[in-house]
Amino acid sequence: MLASFDKHIFWEALSSRPYWHGALLALELTCATLGAAFALAFFLALGALSKSRPLRGLVLVYNWLFRAIPTLLLLLFVWNGLPQLWSAFTADWYKPFLAAFIALALNEAAYMSEIIRAGLLSVDPGQELAGRALGMTRGRILRRVIVPQAIRIIIPPTANEFITLLKLTSLASVISLYELLGASTIRASQNFAYLEAYSAAAVYYLGIVSVLMVLQARLERRFTWRSTARRRRALPAVAHDAR
Amino acid sequence: MNESILRAEAVSKSYDGLAVLRGVTLEVGRGEVKVIIGPSGSGKSTLLRCLALLEPVDAGGVWLDGARLSGLREKELAPHRSEVGMVFQRFNLFQNMTALANVMCGLVEVRRLKKTEAQARALEFLERVGLRDKADSYPDELSGGQQQRVAIARALVMRPKAMLFDEPTSALDVELVREVLDVMEGLARDGMTMVVVSHELRFAHHVASSILMMDEGRIIEEAPPEKFFSSPSHERTRRFLALVE
Repeated sequence: MLASFDKHIFWEALSSRPYWHGALLALELTCATLGAAFALAFFLALGALSKSRPLRGLVLVYNWLFRAIPTLLLLLFVWNGLPQLWSAFTADWYKPFLAAFIALALNEAAYMSEIIRAGLLSVDPGQELAGRALGMTRGRILRRVIVPQAIRIIIPPTANEFITLLKLTSLASVISLYELLGASTIRASQNFAYLEAYSAAAVYYLGIVSVLMVLQARLERRFTWRSTARRRRALPAVAHDAR
Repeated sequence: MNESILRAEAVSKSYDGLAVLRGVTLEVGRGEVKVIIGPSGSGKSTLLRCLALLEPVDAGGVWLDGARLSGLREKELAPHRSEVGMVFQRFNLFQNMTALANVMCGLVEVRRLKKTEAQARALEFLERVGLRDKADSYPDELSGGQQQRVAIARALVMRPKAMLFDEPTSALDVELVREVLDVMEGLARDGMTMVVVSHELRFAHHVASSILMMDEGRIIEEAPPEKFFSSPSHERTRRFLALVE
């Protein structure tokens, strides 16, 4: 016989402040981390694709280091280790959120740089050639032609990274950042209603990921260079052309 | 002979120790149309890329309108590239831009024209290749022939001193070749200086001032179309023509 699932406790947990705050915190941390990681990773990817050997070497070392170190270890190192290294980090402003942000962003940038590199490489070299033939500088070709086209390739794996990061934020509960998982653990330990407490947390994760998937689909459409409405109208015309 | 617009002198180029161009000299006068033929691997495309200033030469030089441009640094070279229009075999239209935006791109990004002015001029050139009504279409929505005509407009709008065509019709379905050749013939009639790598021999016959045969990184023969087709002086040319026709 299944043990009873107390709906009342479940709803109470779901609508409680710590859950709501925890979810918001997880979401904030994920967005901030992904944003910073993306920016850093873009330059890492450019470095990896550059002609300069030392630059490529530097990126290689970075990616090796931050992909090899377990995220949890890095998190503990940044939170507990850095203050021992530099006393500046013992000050009040050094909060768990900031530590988690630094650790996760450093870690994530290594993964993202590989995704961005693959995206840039996926763009037909003929696009750059055409830009150069027009007299465009490399910077402008990158901004106007290559990056917009690479983004389409980058979106799906980046959405994956977002989801992974969202879950990784729960690691931050070990450095006393009470995000969603932290909140549910505390609630569960209060009355041993594990089933209800964890189910409520799962609902939040499901909700966030659902919204993300809708956004992803929209973004992919935005970076597909033919509007679906136009495409539907154009199809018969193309058939007519090829007659 | 009228004044020379584009000149390559003793140009050599190799990739990884493999010599692709071995001392090519070529002079294109104002309003001339030179058609280059030759087997694959003979260096036709590489020669065109050197003329388009896209590839540095190992030896020799490239002159545009009397100025030696090979050997310039990348930064100084970039703006000069817009003085030579280049049309590619695979069109290479910017996939993320509409036909109109493709044609505007060089005006806005290189010539720094205002958007409204660039748009007016781009529409004028789309009209010229007969595609004004496709201004808002993306490359994916156009046929190969239409894409190539947009690509020609994109190069023309920069008002280049010469136009280079690298096998502009060989990626096209047979029935789409004509519309591109029509545009090119119109250009030739209007006095555009052109270098065309192509195996469209009838086009060459109609339009070319002279035809050049390349083989193993050299120009082995150059003659006006009549002479080139009726009595080629080189055995290699004769064999090649027999294969192409």
